[in-house]
Amino acid sequence: MKNIVIGQYVPGAGFFYRLDPRTKIISVIVLMVAVFLLGTILQVSLAFLAVLAVMLAGRISVGRVARGLRPLFVLLVFTFAFQIFLNREGALWVAQEMTVGLLSLSAVVVWTILWRLAARFRRMRSLFLLVWLAGVYAALSFLPAFGPVFARYSFEIYQRGVETSIFVVIRLLIVISLSTILTLTTKPTDLTQGLESLLRPLKKLGVNSDDFALIISISLRYIPTILDEANKIMLAQASRGADFNEGKLVEKVKQIVSLLIPMFIIAFKRSEDLADAMESRNFVPGKPRTRIHELAFGAADLVTAIVTVLFLAASILALVVA
Amino acid sequence: MAIRFRQVSYSYPGYGFGTYEAIRDVTLDIAATGEFIALVGQTGSGKSTLAQHMNALIFPTEGTVEIFGSVVGPKRDKNVKYNELRRKVGLVFQFPEYQLFEETVEKDVMFGPTNFGIPEEEAREMARKALELVGLGSQYLRRNPLNLSGGEKKRVSIAGILAMDPAILVLDEPTSGLDPRGKKTMMDLFRSIRGATGKSIVVITHDMDLVYEYMDRVLVLDRGRLAFDGTPDDLFRRNDLERLHLDHPSTIRVLKAVSEKLGIDLDVYQKDIASAVRELAKAVRP
Repeated sequence: MKNIVIGQYVPGAGFFYRLDPRTKIISVIVLMVAVFLLGTILQVSLAFLAVLAVMLAGRISVGRVARGLRPLFVLLVFTFAFQIFLNREGALWVAQEMTVGLLSLSAVVVWTILWRLAARFRRMRSLFLLVWLAGVYAALSFLPAFGPVFARYSFEIYQRGVETSIFVVIRLLIVISLSTILTLTTKPTDLTQGLESLLRPLKKLGVNSDDFALIISISLRYIPTILDEANKIMLAQASRGADFNEGKLVEKVKQIVSLLIPMFIIAFKRSEDLADAMESRNFVPGKPRTRIHELAFGAADLVTAIVTVLFLAASILALVVA
Repeated sequence: MAIRFRQVSYSYPGYGFGTYEAIRDVTLDIAATGEFIALVGQTGSGKSTLAQHMNALIFPTEGTVEIFGSVVGPKRDKNVKYNELRRKVGLVFQFPEYQLFEETVEKDVMFGPTNFGIPEEEAREMARKALELVGLGSQYLRRNPLNLSGGEKKRVSIAGILAMDPAILVLDEPTSGLDPRGKKTMMDLFRSIRGATGKSIVVITHDMDLVYEYMDRVLVLDRGRLAFDGTPDDLFRRNDLERLHLDHPSTIRVLKAVSEKLGIDLDVYQKDIASAVRELAKAVRP
């Protein structure tokens, strides 16, 4: 929970902080569309470099964005593996006959146990993971079929598979980085004000953008509060011997109930208090409201708009040329 | 010594803003029996963080906490049974809303004991005893804990920890939100628990009157550091209380004001109202 950077606003100063939230929202959407128009690894790599350059220009710590990617690492690895194994087009690069037999299977099991033991040394975990993968590969490929054989499998990697997996992962990285830039540099209140302003035309269709924006801003506002509260409840119940890590399933269920009920009660209480606080400040649902800070476009917004349009034009051009 | 803090520091991880050091370099000992300790300090001085170290709810970032012989360091140790430590050192949180969840008071108080593997009948008996100890009779057993008053909820949450029969009791602001009479009853309750069982009790509080009247020992935290460890008498005789963001108890303040205004010589260090009144009477009728 401590490392969640996605959706987290970090106060600071710089180019992106001065931008109008509307510019940022529209630019991010347009840029994402533009990235999805790109078709080759070279193009997405260039786009990725461009995003990195933009981050550096806006003095956003690349390290911080990268840390934010950590929870999505599993998704990236999964996407990569999925593409590499399932795409069977282009030239055949690797073809390895694999035997799943008693010998190789037990070798894999032993190897896995060794790996889990080694994984206690936290520092080199990723290295151990690679060594483990290599070991499994070797065991399945080169150990003789000694004893019963359960399955034979042809492990194949094709050129297109490697290409698409790299392509997809880079594209995903760009999309995530772009949205991280948006949320990292925009206050939740500004974000909702921007959304509200952008959705205003929908009012004619009967969608109330004010209410919508209010719902979003309240939800965003209460995420950290509720996380904090959940943590406190967890500690309070742990003080009474509720161990959320160990125990049988039945006990676990009971312990989760001991967490959920106080959370619901506190959430309801909080929402009642919030409603009272809003009403006592004369909030009337549906009535138009004024703002202290009106949104206004500036020179920085113009620059951003130009860069965004140029990028979109470039990717359309690339699409047309191809 | 039951709990030993050795150069304990704890930093809360911040959301990308670096870390926030809540307690720094704290070294202290708490005996298993007979202690009645007040933990005081201004808001944000690290009192609750320190208390959460006492039953290994959180691990120190630096240093070690030894709890009944088990050493709790920065890293989780597989040989230490943390749950057992939480049974030995009972920690009551400030807000009962964070823990009450069962349909009846009895079941809620039984939650702790059953978690520690005590059979149901025995746990029921312990719950009854604990509720009685906090002054809630059998008519409360079937009530819904969520429909009780604030003071009653507080008692139920304390009973929930007492029912686990901990060797040391740690309470985070048990008197906050109670009226003056409720505060007194609560403190009398702790005094009687200590008298009856001899267990050490640690109480976090902001109320200097209670500290002076009831406690044997005060720990003062100032911005995460242990600024004072001694008796309330020694603490309130110091001249630099303001530097520690503390105030004198009302008895001392009133007697001091009177002696300065009227220019009479009084022994201002009186622990409760009755003795303060006697001291005043002495000055009026020598």
